[in-house]
Amino acid sequence: MSKFSLFLLLFTLGSGAVLYAQEDDLLALLGEEEETIEYANASFKTNRVINLHSLESTSAGVLDIKISHRFGTLNRGAYELFGLDNASIRIGGDYGITDQLTVGLGRSSYQKTFDGFVKYKFLRQSKGKKVMPITAAFLATTAIQSMKWQNPDRENYFSSRMYYTFQLILGRKFSENFSLQVSPTVVHRNLVKTVAEAHDVYAIAAAGRIKLTKRVALNAEYTYVLPDQLLPGFRNALSVGFDIETGGHVFQLHFTNSTSMIEPGLVTQTVETWGNGGIHFGFNVSRVFTVVRPKIQ
Amino acid sequence: MNFTWIIALIGLTFGQLSDAKLYEVNEGSVDFRSDAPLELIEASSTELKGLINAEERTFAFSVPMSSFEGFNSPLQRVHFNENYMESKHYPNATFSGKIIENINFTKDGLYTVRAKGQLNVHGIKRERIIRSELQVEEGQIEVHANFTVLLAEHDISIPKIVHQKIAEEIAVEIRAVFLPKMP
Repeated sequence: MSKFSLFLLLFTLGSGAVLYAQEDDLLALLGEEEETIEYANASFKTNRVINLHSLESTSAGVLDIKISHRFGTLNRGAYELFGLDNASIRIGGDYGITDQLTVGLGRSSYQKTFDGFVKYKFLRQSKGKKVMPITAAFLATTAIQSMKWQNPDRENYFSSRMYYTFQLILGRKFSENFSLQVSPTVVHRNLVKTVAEAHDVYAIAAAGRIKLTKRVALNAEYTYVLPDQLLPGFRNALSVGFDIETGGHVFQLHFTNSTSMIEPGLVTQTVETWGNGGIHFGFNVSRVFTVVRPKIQ
Repeated sequence: MNFTWIIALIGLTFGQLSDAKLYEVNEGSVDFRSDAPLELIEASSTELKGLINAEERTFAFSVPMSSFEGFNSPLQRVHFNENYMESKHYPNATFSGKIIENINFTKDGLYTVRAKGQLNVHGIKRERIIRSELQVEEGQIEVHANFTVLLAEHDISIPKIVHQKIAEEIAVEIRAVFLPKMP
């Protein structure tokens, strides 16, 4: 080997050592991080899109109190201040047992209905060390309608008041600003009015959100009920609204043709239509309370 | 010239390289505290990484924003990452630069130094001089520093509605134990 090539070798190695010591490279050296699992979070602002459950669950140890209103329909005109004279309300609370398991209770003035649900998130969208393209959750709800019997003289069964819903929620946060979910749903009604109506009503619901600013999002949801299950006159529910988030509160303001705020009503009892102004203005207010403080690991 | 010579020379060059004494964070934490009239928020991360080049007196620190835990609620943590720090876009906070004082890292003792460099939080770089304590003991360096970060300086805006809940000036405390970096 010639002296020149030796010099070249020394020079390269030597300059390498100099570069090595530069401060910018120190920062770059830090960049060699090990890959971690990065879970998608905040796909939706809260665990409801509008009426539908979103793929989000309530965090462990957090109580989410929800107060929701649906006013009368806009087509009632100025006499009823476009529906504001009438309001239907649901008061409820959701609690996160773990980050994946949420339970909730509520009571709606519409048909004096009590409802309870269990929701389990069994897949979490993630990237990095573990790649999972979607989030998936299973929702089971029970609703008990508690209105006085229409016909108290005949033999009435408590079970006739019961409604069950099973729903699979599959969703993905496609980007910081766009999330979409699809929910195959079945609503079981113990009692139906006529033989022409199905006890089990199958539907597919879809919901999405577009984040407009850091604290405001535009949400929309649509529930498609598969044909020949309901009597004519029942409609699919379409709702559009905004989520406004301020610290521990989320205000959801929206327009919907569904009077009910829970699945059985949403899927099987929606009679209004957007076309003739049968639209309810409404809002959900969500306030979270930390019951159990998260531990620092 | 024979081959042994070359080997020897390569060895010498690499020897020089390791002479550029690098120390690496073995254990480090970053704590921050937002003390506002209506709410006190505290969080910490133990995922602090750092390097000191004793010869050049240069240093670099980095901490992933998403590694902070604590807060008063899980939602607050989500908001911290999503709305304030925008951790997806600016995953790490970094501080890198040079130690102004010339200190002897091989001699045990407590040194107070000024670390001058670029503090990068929320993607905005600010030139800062941060007073730090360095305790050199048996080849390890313990670093302790307290400083504040003005949110406005790093383009982190606080909505009016939570003004009473988030301090404009965040107190930060850093502790780190450096050990010689293994080659």
